[in-house]
Amino acid sequence: MAHNERFEELVALRALGLPMGADGAEFARHLAGCPECERLLAELREAAATLSTTVVPLAPPPDLRRRILGSLTEAPRAVARPRPSIVPWMLAAAAALLVVIVGLDDARLRRQREELRSRTDDLSARLASAKQDLARQDLRARVLESDDVRLLFLGGKGPQPDARGKVFWSPKAKRGVLLAGNLAVLPSGKQYELWVFAKGKPVPAGVFDADSSGRAVFESRDLSAVDRAENFAVTVEPAGGVPAPTGPIVLVGTPS
Amino acid sequence: MSSDIAKADRALISRIEERDADALGLLYDRHAGRLLGLAHRIVGETGEAEEVLQEVFLWVWRSASGFDAGRGTVLGWLLMATRSRAIDRLRARRPALRAGLRAVETVPDAPSAQDVEADSATRQWENVCRSAIAQLPDEQRRALELAYFEGLTHQEISEKTATPLGTVKTRVRLGLMKLRDSVRPYLPPGTHGT
Repeated sequence: MAHNERFEELVALRALGLPMGADGAEFARHLAGCPECERLLAELREAAATLSTTVVPLAPPPDLRRRILGSLTEAPRAVARPRPSIVPWMLAAAAALLVVIVGLDDARLRRQREELRSRTDDLSARLASAKQDLARQDLRARVLESDDVRLLFLGGKGPQPDARGKVFWSPKAKRGVLLAGNLAVLPSGKQYELWVFAKGKPVPAGVFDADSSGRAVFESRDLSAVDRAENFAVTVEPAGGVPAPTGPIVLVGTPS
Repeated sequence: MSSDIAKADRALISRIEERDADALGLLYDRHAGRLLGLAHRIVGETGEAEEVLQEVFLWVWRSASGFDAGRGTVLGWLLMATRSRAIDRLRARRPALRAGLRAVETVPDAPSAQDVEADSATRQWENVCRSAIAQLPDEQRRALELAYFEGLTHQEISEKTATPLGTVKTRVRLGLMKLRDSVRPYLPPGTHGT
């Protein structure tokens, strides 16, 4: 599309939010790849907005501000954790809808497009979160399904004698997956820390929390420095973990 | 619009993205009067104009992340959202209204109208805009007002003003380009190509 008077006419139409008819789709395609046109559109939008300065401002009723701010909690929040399986489908649907409405310049559709863009951003964040979850699950599955996996049972000790746990350890992957139950919910500022014993010394394998029912599923960090895992233990430590154990041991096991 | 105002508005949008309701209140305090005036000018009815204003601020709360500073100022974004919603309502009832649209040159009666306090930078910006609009030839200004405040298409402006379609297209284009040229030096960086 040449940058001529006709083009300026179309940009002016878009800046004023007026219907573009059959030219809309072509214009939208051109606009997507032309920074010069994007700039002109931004300028003409600001130019159109100057017309609003001829309007007499009105003082809103005193309670309108309170009503608006009071209703914010009812407005949807930006991010909520979805079920991973449905997210890609929702994102694809949103993207497909976006494609369909590109080029249409009716004011209502344009507003829907703005809102859809916002929803797509939300869904992108959800998708990223879901992908992270899936990556973690894949990693766990690789540990659990590896042909060299070893199972170690952990029993409760010290302040938590009823705690129980299992560690699936893959010597090849140098990672372990801990499944634990009957753990106490820790106070703020405290976390559980998993330790793997190598050459008789504890090596930190990561921190985790138990859920409200005392269960935890935790995948250790990469422990490639560990040649041979001799044992595992869980202690209670300051949040974020420590390089060497300082708190009470609540789970400990013996390799089979 | 002065750079300071635009910068302060962008900072509020960033805070709103972080779910800061106080920032939305501040944005409301800065612009609600202008936006309500615009909505009222378009829909011509106080209650409906207030509904539009409420819709716009709830939309800002949900969609602040959609604001793109490269595509214009926050105020321009808010005005566009307000106008878009107000014109939607106008279009929805247009068949009944078409014959009786008010003259665009007159400011509608406003039952509780009063000027909202504006700081000197805002007043300066408004003077620049009004001066630019005043310098437009009457026919270009009228065509732009019909498009902006009533959402009329080229064809509808042509019919309403008994002017050839091609002439209407030229008037809208030239009028907007002249306005752009007049206010361009006052736009914040990033909104224009200089």
